[in-house]
Amino acid sequence: MSVAQIQELALERQQPAGGLWSEAFRRFRRNPAGITGVAFVGAFILIAIFAPLLAPHSPTDQNLLLIADGCCPGPSREHLLGVDELGRDELSRVIYGARYSLVVGVMSVAVGLSIGLLLGSIAGYLGGWADSVVMRLMDILLAIPSLLLAIGIVAMLGPGFVPVMIAVGVATVPIFARLLRGTILGQREADYVLAARSIGVRKRVILTSHILPNSISPVIVAGTLAMATAIIDVAGLGFLGLGPQDPATPEWGTMLTTADRYISTAPFLAFFPGLAIVIIVLGFNLIGDAMREALDPKLRRYD
Amino acid sequence: MLRFVVRRLLLLVPILLGLSILIFVWVRALPGTPADALLGERATPAAVAEFRARYGLDRPLYVQYWSYVKTTLSGELGTSVASHRPVTTEIRDRFPATVELAFAAMAFALFFGLPLGFFAAKRYRSPVDHGSLFLSLIGISIPVFFLAIMLKYLFGVRLGWLPTVGRQDVLIDAEHPTGFYVLDGIVTWNWAAAWDATQHLILPAIALGSIPLAIISRVTRASVLDVQNEDYVRTAHAKGVPPQQVDRRHVFRNALLPVTTIIGLTFGILLSGAVLTETVFAIPGMGSWLKEAIFNHDYPVLQSGIMFLALVFVIVNLIVDVTYGFIDPRVRLS
Repeated sequence: MSVAQIQELALERQQPAGGLWSEAFRRFRRNPAGITGVAFVGAFILIAIFAPLLAPHSPTDQNLLLIADGCCPGPSREHLLGVDELGRDELSRVIYGARYSLVVGVMSVAVGLSIGLLLGSIAGYLGGWADSVVMRLMDILLAIPSLLLAIGIVAMLGPGFVPVMIAVGVATVPIFARLLRGTILGQREADYVLAARSIGVRKRVILTSHILPNSISPVIVAGTLAMATAIIDVAGLGFLGLGPQDPATPEWGTMLTTADRYISTAPFLAFFPGLAIVIIVLGFNLIGDAMREALDPKLRRYD
Repeated sequence: MLRFVVRRLLLLVPILLGLSILIFVWVRALPGTPADALLGERATPAAVAEFRARYGLDRPLYVQYWSYVKTTLSGELGTSVASHRPVTTEIRDRFPATVELAFAAMAFALFFGLPLGFFAAKRYRSPVDHGSLFLSLIGISIPVFFLAIMLKYLFGVRLGWLPTVGRQDVLIDAEHPTGFYVLDGIVTWNWAAAWDATQHLILPAIALGSIPLAIISRVTRASVLDVQNEDYVRTAHAKGVPPQQVDRRHVFRNALLPVTTIIGLTFGILLSGAVLTETVFAIPGMGSWLKEAIFNHDYPVLQSGIMFLALVFVIVNLIVDVTYGFIDPRVRLS
């Protein structure tokens, strides 16, 4: 270690300790894995937003001449990733697919998070019979493997955009409810809660403005990691044929279903939508792990 | 020990009861009625009423629920609308395929995951360690069905090394006394059949085992790192036990404890993933069956199939818990 480095370290120590969040943000910024994750996810968000500008073709335009000799001509200068079995530009479809995956992913986690947050805080703060009822309900939901639960919900609501969102969301509810209940139980007995209670702050206010903000950091981490799982599950439901029923909507999982049929002649049709899923899921996993380290360096020393 | 097992069994009762209510309500919330499905859209109101009376659908819901519980407990699960075969027969044919696949996937995950996690921890912060972390990160980021398709393309289509469809080559003459094809080949001394069934299992097992592999290697690594700093490990080193023996008898054994619980939890991932893996490799198991049932609106199959898999999942976790209590006295005494 050079003298300059040591001085730098000393300077760092002297800096006044910021709040929890700015401290965590500093740690996060220094983590190359986390930055990589942000880059991946950021790129995908931009791609999703600017899809009409980035896509070289319309995702629904068919060039039937190209598939006259069978499926499917591979990458060419006109179609960088080739065309699919209906003569549509694969690159444009992968680009548009980012929209569906991101929107459904974010919305389903939002559904799961809000229901889970509500149930978890009720169970954790009220305790007693409310706690027992909510937690037994979560145990029952957890007894059904998550994709089967999602399949069951889609079977009930019918396939499509909104049902997939709800299904994947509900499947994540138990994770958030349990997590929040656990952290709230830990916070409930903290000294600052006792102090608030002793000066007569109302229960609801204690929960919303004292306990929840202090229990939120593990929830944010779990939420990011849940985004990764949600995107995989959404694609999985699409792969099973339960995604959007309009064939014009490009969805990565659904694209893989047709690609599977043409795997021996056109493997590139499977490769690119799959790669897109892997990159974005990897991005969310990297961010989640880095945030966990940044928010609580003691919690996971070795990960 | 017995009290621990009994207590865990009693905890199951409310879960199974709740599960049965949930599934009962769910089936009734599914679109379409059984009368529509079986009599067709042009049935007369009288025919529908007669049908509803015959199957007890006009009775109050709690009566219907009670009769559902009674018939389910007696092992009567109804008939598949699509295949017209009893659901119990279908489960008997298909469940072994899924169990075989899940076992193979878990064996793959343990065989590679445990050493990977162990050596990563032993070489903490070395390239081996970083490599294993990266691998497990990739493992949890690849959708099972995408990995399955890629394996199928590479080893099946491109290299032609392994079969990619079904559980056994149609040209192979084999008997199936147990329904577990590899085991069937062995017990009937039909080595060709056993070898063929094993080959059919390899790609699906790798695809399905990828996520458990990632989780197991990660948990093993963290657990070994924890155990390495324990006092008893230092004591063993101090009293001159050979390092390899310390690793084997003191570190590895104790590090396995948390991994045991993970095996139970990842079993749910295996059952979920089986739906996708079986679809890609055209394996006639529980997963592909349930997938078809959705498209056929085959409600008896969905109802019993999901209940059955949930039951299996709950029982596996019970077994894991009990095993955990057995190998770690601290658990059962707390």
